[in-house]
Amino acid sequence: MAGGLADTLGVSDAFVRAAFITLSTVWGLGLLVYLGLWLMELDRIEDRVVEPVLPHQAYGLAIGFAGLMLLLGSVGWWPSNALVLTVGALAFGTAALTDRNMPGPLAALVDPSVDRPGRLRMLIGVGLLIGGLAVFSANVGPIYEIGPVLLAVALTGVGILVAFGPWVTRLARDLGTERRERIRQEERAEMAAHLHDSVLQTLALIQRSDDPLRMSMLARHQESELRDWLYGNLPLDGVDLLSTALKDAAKRIEADHQVPIDVVVVGDHTLDDSTRALLGAASEAMVNAAKHSGAERVSLYFEADDDELVVYVTDQGKGFDSGEVAGDRQGISRSIKARVQRAGGVAAVDSQLGEGTEVTLRLPVVAS
Amino acid sequence: MSARVYLVDDHRLFLAGVRAELSEEFTIVGSGYDVDTAIEEIRGFDPDVVLVDVHMPDGGGIAVVEGVLGTNPDVKFLALSVSDQAEDVIAMIRAGARGYVTKTIEPADLANAVRRIHAGDAVFSPRLAGFVLDAFAGAMPAEVDPELDQLTAREKDVLRLIARGFAYKQVARKLNISIKTVETHVSSVLRKLQLSNRHELARWASKRRIV
Repeated sequence: MAGGLADTLGVSDAFVRAAFITLSTVWGLGLLVYLGLWLMELDRIEDRVVEPVLPHQAYGLAIGFAGLMLLLGSVGWWPSNALVLTVGALAFGTAALTDRNMPGPLAALVDPSVDRPGRLRMLIGVGLLIGGLAVFSANVGPIYEIGPVLLAVALTGVGILVAFGPWVTRLARDLGTERRERIRQEERAEMAAHLHDSVLQTLALIQRSDDPLRMSMLARHQESELRDWLYGNLPLDGVDLLSTALKDAAKRIEADHQVPIDVVVVGDHTLDDSTRALLGAASEAMVNAAKHSGAERVSLYFEADDDELVVYVTDQGKGFDSGEVAGDRQGISRSIKARVQRAGGVAAVDSQLGEGTEVTLRLPVVAS
Repeated sequence: MSARVYLVDDHRLFLAGVRAELSEEFTIVGSGYDVDTAIEEIRGFDPDVVLVDVHMPDGGGIAVVEGVLGTNPDVKFLALSVSDQAEDVIAMIRAGARGYVTKTIEPADLANAVRRIHAGDAVFSPRLAGFVLDAFAGAMPAEVDPELDQLTAREKDVLRLIARGFAYKQVARKLNISIKTVETHVSSVLRKLQLSNRHELARWASKRRIV
């Protein structure tokens, strides 16, 4: 019931209950309103979207409630200050401490991640509780009886601790579990979003495709993308590596020309001007093989040691007779050679009709 | 006689696919979905070749290889995995697998690999060859057993050609040696990979996440 009204007002149901309890001290008025609302079956409305209340709205509601109490007091509907103030302070103090949207009081004390409003609310809650007890004791007897009163308060406190201690610790633990669960759910949502954008899209494309080659290329592309996402390619911070650049280039050419390119890398080197020339030449060789060789797949092998970088681009396609081939193929092989030579290396194209083609690029490592 | 093959994979759909591909040429004696069943059945069937997935619950392919080789040392394992991470590859080979191929392998190549494993050879994919070259590269540790901790120049030549995508037959022709010699070199590299104490091997594999 209180939950229904809390949802309507957009405030925590703990505070709504506190308000009802406080109002009930005024000759059971709260109880009557509660019953009235219950008869109106307000709590049946559960599927409503609850918008979180803004802070100033909450203050407004609080001031409104205080005003209502003052109004009741001024028209004479008032049992006694002691009763209303004590019960009100205790009820709202408890509400502030047990609000479900808040971490438990114990958790708030020890958990550094609790934000400042949370701490503030806890302090207010404790303050109200102590204030309520103080008003209560001040109205019970003169100052010399403070000893027994304090004893009573202490006994009550111990009693509460014994009675609710396990509950409070469990609440704190539940909140910890809840927080972990929430983090897990966020991770799951992030993963779902990623899989949706990539894997599910690709699977849909594969289902709609009736070309086996295209299907397998889609699957291959998705596989490499997923691998990158799962394991990361772990580039060194701020340093571009030749191996990563070669793999990226192979991936791009593979997608453009629908021919799988297998990349094997041994060792590595940073990407600078001369190795960029090697990268460019290797890319041209891969494009060349993918476009012209007719081979089902192309291999790229890159090995780096202390003295030399070597790249082989190999296909087992139809090959060519270097004496006879004219036109753009020779042009490309010439441009590959020129590129590597300008960077201080050598390039060789070895091809035989029917035997495939292998482009070898060598670049000496210059001590930097 | 065609090889008697047993399949281990917790992914049933993939298992069914491999079974269909291989059943024409080989006798599929059985298949297992989990580590314990697989070990028990392999001990019972004593197949020639076991195709084993790497990532499975309860210890994965490594548990199967180690569990079986203790009692049936003649069973030959070919690891088949979606993972091509160095850690997995090296760990499977060190556990006793005689080859490692990824699940993207063409059916004909897979059949060829099973045949080769059955004949007692090792199966190195281009990527595995690259891993081995990388793992054995670099400066030698102070205490080194050249017999186990170093690759010969010829072995490196063979591995490089495999890494460049050439089949054993082409490797043999390029180096002017027989296919049998190529197989001997690869088996010798496999032995070094399995027995070498080269401490870099483990460090390298864990450092090298994915290639």
